[in-house]
Amino acid sequence: MINTFFRVFVLAVFVLTASLSSAITRENVKVHMLTNGLKVLLLESKTIPNISYYTFFRVGGRNEVVGLTGVSHFIEHMMFNGSPKFGPGEFDRVMEFHGGANNAYTGMDMTAYTDWFPSSALEKMMEMEADRIQDATFDPNVFESERGVVASERRLSVENNNDHLLDETVQATAILAHPYHHGVIGWMSDILNWKRDAVLKYYKTYYAPNNAVLIVVGDFETKKIIPMIERYYGKIPAATPPPKVTTMEPQQLGPRKLVIRREAQTPGFQAVYPVSAATHPDFPALQLLDLILLRGESSRLYRKLVRDCQLAVSVYGGIQETIDPFLFSFVVKPKVGIELDRIETEIETVLADIVKNGVTPNELQKAKNQVRTDFYSPLETIAGQANLLGQMEIIYGDWQATFQVIPKIEAVTAERVREVAATYLVPDKKTIGLLIPKEGEK
Amino acid sequence: MNRLSLIIIVALFFSCVQAWGSRTLPIPQTFSLKNGMKVYFLSDATLPMVAFRMVLPEAGSLTETQEGLASLTAELITKGTPEKSAEEIAAEIDFLGASLSFSAASEFLEVSGRSLSENFPALFQLAIASLTAPTFPQAELDKERNIRLERLKSIKDNPSSAVNFYFRKAYFGNHPLGAISLGNESALKGFQRQQVVDFYSSHYRPDSALLAVTGNISIRTLKSLLENRLSKWANPVQSLQPLRFIPIPLPAGKKCLLIDKSDASQAYFVLGVPGIKKADPETASSQVFNTLFGGRFTSWLNSELRIKRGLTYGARSSFQSWRNDGIFTISSYTKNDQIGEMLKIVFELIVKAKKDGFDQDEIISARNYILGQFPPTLEDMESKVRAYTELTFYGESFDYYDHLLSRVSSTDQSSARSLASRILPKEKYVLVVVGKADEILKRLEPFGIWEVKKISDPGFH
Repeated sequence: MINTFFRVFVLAVFVLTASLSSAITRENVKVHMLTNGLKVLLLESKTIPNISYYTFFRVGGRNEVVGLTGVSHFIEHMMFNGSPKFGPGEFDRVMEFHGGANNAYTGMDMTAYTDWFPSSALEKMMEMEADRIQDATFDPNVFESERGVVASERRLSVENNNDHLLDETVQATAILAHPYHHGVIGWMSDILNWKRDAVLKYYKTYYAPNNAVLIVVGDFETKKIIPMIERYYGKIPAATPPPKVTTMEPQQLGPRKLVIRREAQTPGFQAVYPVSAATHPDFPALQLLDLILLRGESSRLYRKLVRDCQLAVSVYGGIQETIDPFLFSFVVKPKVGIELDRIETEIETVLADIVKNGVTPNELQKAKNQVRTDFYSPLETIAGQANLLGQMEIIYGDWQATFQVIPKIEAVTAERVREVAATYLVPDKKTIGLLIPKEGEK
Repeated sequence: MNRLSLIIIVALFFSCVQAWGSRTLPIPQTFSLKNGMKVYFLSDATLPMVAFRMVLPEAGSLTETQEGLASLTAELITKGTPEKSAEEIAAEIDFLGASLSFSAASEFLEVSGRSLSENFPALFQLAIASLTAPTFPQAELDKERNIRLERLKSIKDNPSSAVNFYFRKAYFGNHPLGAISLGNESALKGFQRQQVVDFYSSHYRPDSALLAVTGNISIRTLKSLLENRLSKWANPVQSLQPLRFIPIPLPAGKKCLLIDKSDASQAYFVLGVPGIKKADPETASSQVFNTLFGGRFTSWLNSELRIKRGLTYGARSSFQSWRNDGIFTISSYTKNDQIGEMLKIVFELIVKAKKDGFDQDEIISARNYILGQFPPTLEDMESKVRAYTELTFYGESFDYYDHLLSRVSSTDQSSARSLASRILPKEKYVLVVVGKADEILKRLEPFGIWEVKKISDPGFH
């Protein structure tokens, strides 16, 4: 069985390597640098008569300080709320009138503005995007109204959502010093107390062409779009580069545990361990370990917790590609009435087994196949291509890191996977979080 | 006739076929298997991947006799064949880096899968082996039963999704569309293996099935995959019956239900009224109307509730349509002390839309928006196989979207307004709120007479 699969796999690698070169290649991505530091990546694609226009800023939860937690995400909201040229709400009204739609997201390391529109709307969209990155108004009344929106978003996604409440508390317990301690949404008391001046200063610091990357993928002509980009973005002045994030997480010297008690029908369980940043040489092996432990019904932890011991309904989690070291997480939805400590014991048994005996060749190959499928799937759409290029640029500092993903994964051996398990997933490094339904209010 | 002109004529012929086919959706090759299954195939070599989707019209939840049976059967299909155990099947799918799912929608069962091209034969064979010869091991039924019982409980910890389950029950009552796919506690506890076996034997059949495949695979490879097990899959003895659809009961008055969740800091509502069926002649107007009323960021609902007042993170409306009927819903959420204000604004917007309709600039904007956002909806492989199977299921041709978009282009103020008047409620609706009763009940009084239940009460009705 393994042999058959292995042959299939060798063929697949050959075909995939060839095809990455037809979707995104070093040659068909055009890079254009503006003198103010804005980096532009252009990829023409005529599959549909539309354009995906993505602007990434190197700012997120990672850059925030106490009192201003959540502010990167708040600014993402305020970017839709007007400039002297386009009044509050005008951006969305004009964009939708021209057939466009957009969204935005804020993460720990980046803020991305994602526009999808018919090619005919290109110049109008570019005019508005270039305008708002330099000239958002932060009108005091709109500021207050948008504060309410974000508070509602926090109530929806954290306070009335037990899983996310546990996420937030575990993250803040496992990470003491680094700004990843704070959730991206921010603490409610910060949300309710942000001052306009401080928010404006933060915006001026991080929203500058030299702190951004623009990605355009779709139905346009490179030779026509470059002068247009120069015209709309070229005069925006560069800013002083933002302060570097220097805080490092101190080494964890023993296990930590926390408990949340609140009204709930079902309990919650999480275990997390600190791991390396995306650019660290251990990261590809950690990615494979993540898949071996957590992906699919044949994964080690699904088999142990859900199938064999029947302690849980589901288990998920894993690692994230981040600029600074973050966490390897195991998020378990326990069955009602089971002893939560048993979940902790069983997870440790699974991890100890990998540390002692390693992973099988079949498991390693399975994980490599999964990485390849995951990697190629987003390339089906122009939006997926734009997003991939932007994230590579922010996390790895270079979109060409795209071409390293598969080779790095291919180079990982079973022994390397065992080594990273032994390095990171050890009992003294864990933080356990429990959500226990309050008695009498089930 | 020289050779060149022949080539030109042939080329012209093909380009015409393309033009007569569809501007929006590439036309697939079509053929049938001996057992009646229809197959749609589109070759696409852009990426080394293949996706497929199969629709079985008899095996959706509308045909089930007990709540949750269709979904449970679908889930158990991949939990054992004569050759492989559930664990072996899962391990093989995972190894291929592939995905495969069987899930019961209301009107049909859908099977979907995707993988790298090289792994597609293995994935497809596994899917077909599961579909045609499931063994339904008792132990797998018991495990799935337990998982579902747990999932039912955890829904209630998240009011934003719980409100939809309560709404479903309140609106549809005992109509089959009120069924929750996870089932209910007593039905789940009582399910016998034989019920699953019987549901499978009588509802899973090839003669009404539709299969679409697209991606980097040749038709020859596909046909050789279909030749073995799938084309030999026999139909049940009982002949195919026409699908029945019981009309959805209309709201009799203002039906208001409050679910008390004593620790909720926000209140979540869903308001529902009758909508339109799939092939309704006013589908294009309904899209223009909904885009403006609650279907996009600058819609009336989101503008008034989020953009202008900051009451919520989002407010929206949508149509859900089935072959013979449909519903229209409005939903949002806000802090407990603002729910009264929020609902008052919602009802004011309803009155305004019925009375004044939309201005000409709004109509143009909605038309541009629908047309501009359409191409990405058919961009990837999944969306194409979905389009092939569903258009066929609903009796539409593959140029359906061309006609729909052209009707969208000609929707005007009067057709959007007449649709608004037809759909938006006056005195008859179903309104469900999940929130903290102590703090919100008095704010809800202007909107009807409220029945109050606790979230800890069993079930969703």
